[in-house]
Amino acid sequence: MSNIDLSRVSILVVEDSQFIRSLIVNSLRVMGVGSIQSLDDGAQAIEFIKLVDRDPMKAGMMGIDMIISDWEMSPVDGMMLLRWIRRHKDSPNRFVPFLMLTGYSEPKRVQEARTMGVNEFMSKPFTVNALADKLFSVINKPRQYVHTGTYFGPDRRRQVIPIEGKDRRVLTYDSPEVEVVNG
Amino acid sequence: MARVSVRYYRHKNKLREKTLGLAPMNDDDISFDEDLIAQAMAALDEMAEDYPDWVSGLIEQLADVHRRCVDTPEQRFQHFEQLHAIAHDMRGQGGTFGYQLISDFADGLYEFTRKNTGETDKNVEIIKAHIDAMRVVIKNRISGGGGDVGKELKAGLEVAIAKYSQQD
Repeated sequence: MSNIDLSRVSILVVEDSQFIRSLIVNSLRVMGVGSIQSLDDGAQAIEFIKLVDRDPMKAGMMGIDMIISDWEMSPVDGMMLLRWIRRHKDSPNRFVPFLMLTGYSEPKRVQEARTMGVNEFMSKPFTVNALADKLFSVINKPRQYVHTGTYFGPDRRRQVIPIEGKDRRVLTYDSPEVEVVNG
Repeated sequence: MARVSVRYYRHKNKLREKTLGLAPMNDDDISFDEDLIAQAMAALDEMAEDYPDWVSGLIEQLADVHRRCVDTPEQRFQHFEQLHAIAHDMRGQGGTFGYQLISDFADGLYEFTRKNTGETDKNVEIIKAHIDAMRVVIKNRISGGGGDVGKELKAGLEVAIAKYSQQD
């Protein structure tokens, strides 16, 4: 059995509730995460992400391995932050894993976050086990990323399962319109 | 040659390398250190002990803003926004610390103070009913759903809402 060692991992936590923020940060710290930065809302997060890219020494973080963000914040909420990360030309790492923390768990909301390119979705109330499960998925079960005319983000098909009826994906990996980028 | 319309990116899993090293291993053999998880859960439990004190502060903030709704009705729009923000802060947390009723009442208040809520006197009273219900939960340390007491509190709040909603 091998234990996951988080001591070299850097995580950005974006949450406007001071109490929940300290709870997440504290849990991550006890789990051994090496570097954690916590911020109040998406606008601060965007500035921090740019600073890490421009001047990591000044930011105090050499890179961001993962973002854990609340959905509802003001003025820039979690969905706007995710959109900026995945789609904006100034985003330095469009592939960074993004874990959305939210009080919402309705299927419509989950779908909305998936469409924007979220990697994992965690509903409140917060538990350590749920957090550990999501971190495990991000680290150990990453998905390939897909870029189409309307979507950029992790492949929304987590598993290869036979599809009943007509498959909406008409192209295959062998199609000339499809390019697979390995890196 | 066909124009590429779909790109798949298959990057090396650097996060796995950082956390598990380069040696190949079976997924079934990978886990978090159980002791660390247990310690994190213990730390969460410890924080939970502070929750009633912390949330009492937020309830007092709500009560303070409610007082201002009464004293300065011309500024109720801003006051309602403040109430909405505080309720948002509270609604996702109660359940985490075993106070589901706080989450439920805060969620009710959050929904009630959305932008389309009229800033009338009766709505100010409905806000007070939510605050009073939260106070009872924390004062009596009513955890979980609260059993019969919780049901009574919820029913009481619904009666208050119905009563003030019917007033002209």
